[in-house]
Amino acid sequence: MYNRKLAKLLTHSYQILAVILILLAGGLLLLPSYEKHEGIEPESLLANAISPERYISSDELAHKIISGDPSILVIDVRDSERFESYSIPGAINIPLEDILDEENEEYLDQAAYEIVLCSDDNFYADQAWILCNRLGYKNLRVLQGGMQDWFNSVINPPQPDEKMPNSEHELYSFRKSASMFFGVAYEDEVKATPPAPKPSPKPKTVAPVKKKKKKMPEGGC
Amino acid sequence: MGPLIPNEIIPAEWNSIFALVIGIAFGYILESSGFSSSRKLAGVFYGYDFAVLKVFFTAALVSSIGILYMDYMGYLDLGALYVHPTYLKGALIGGGIMGLGFITGGFCPGTSICAAAIGKIDALVYVGGILIGIFLFSELFSRFEPLYDGGFMGYITIMDAFEISPYVFVFAFTLLAVLSFVIADIVRKRVKKVVY
Repeated sequence: MYNRKLAKLLTHSYQILAVILILLAGGLLLLPSYEKHEGIEPESLLANAISPERYISSDELAHKIISGDPSILVIDVRDSERFESYSIPGAINIPLEDILDEENEEYLDQAAYEIVLCSDDNFYADQAWILCNRLGYKNLRVLQGGMQDWFNSVINPPQPDEKMPNSEHELYSFRKSASMFFGVAYEDEVKATPPAPKPSPKPKTVAPVKKKKKKMPEGGC
Repeated sequence: MGPLIPNEIIPAEWNSIFALVIGIAFGYILESSGFSSSRKLAGVFYGYDFAVLKVFFTAALVSSIGILYMDYMGYLDLGALYVHPTYLKGALIGGGIMGLGFITGGFCPGTSICAAAIGKIDALVYVGGILIGIFLFSELFSRFEPLYDGGFMGYITIMDAFEISPYVFVFAFTLLAVLSFVIADIVRKRVKKVVY
């Protein structure tokens, strides 16, 4: 009895298949539209944002520049006027409003350098960081405290008094020598003949790596 | 997530291996559905057998509906799929020649190789003809080149060209397919049965 029913149903198998196809295709029309998500997943953006790796301190950056770390690339996201008045030696200037320009993509989206974004404080640099991170760019860091912190700790370090721990004094001596590296003169260090002022370092020349356009997958019949 | 190989979830070196496996499966299914018979294939032109129409229409529908659903759910990036470039002039003329060859020879290129593999003599002759055709085309390529590159319209689909939603298009295509199946069945019942 049961089998006969099934057999009867299966004589209509082509009609059933046709109805299934139409239903599935009709279902496509009823799909609610939604905005497609582009860039990295929200979860990984959040994970990147709260990672301590996101920031680099002024001292760490100074140490890397002094020791001649070739992998470091400082990108100043302030406007060009401020960039020209003073910036970190070797920095290149990409103002925040131009950060998504196509010509700057070659600097930001690469794997050769560790990029340090800096602005006056870290707010603009953080914005640039979020934008670039959302696009999936790698090796991006933000200078903690920005140019202000750079100036207050590396260029013009506060002198510790005698009561402070030894580590503070060591930090001060590092910062003092760093500031001398970057061209600050101290009265007690100046010898009889002051050294000739160092030529201001040229902005780092970066040969942007031309990204290969994603190869068109080949195929066909 | 997908497509798996362009997104490097599966290394690109696997391409040829997948091609081999899929190719063998494709040939096996073609043969076992009777597509190695030139009479069955030519039947679609004479109206006594519409298996070719039904099989290829259904395959196109299943894959396009499946791809659209997978794209919607985020398993497949539709934009990363290969779209065959459109050379309108060349496609029209080539399509005409292909149709002519299909009706006279009783095979399309894929099925002819499939039939040659099981030793059909007509298929072997057909494959020989294909090889001669390839040779002539290659030798005279400089003559054919304007036609070959003619009417280039880029990597477009019907949805891009007419600016319609892919969902609407696929739904309309499905209705058209089911309608064509019904008409094919009516025609087949009216045409004198051919035993082959």
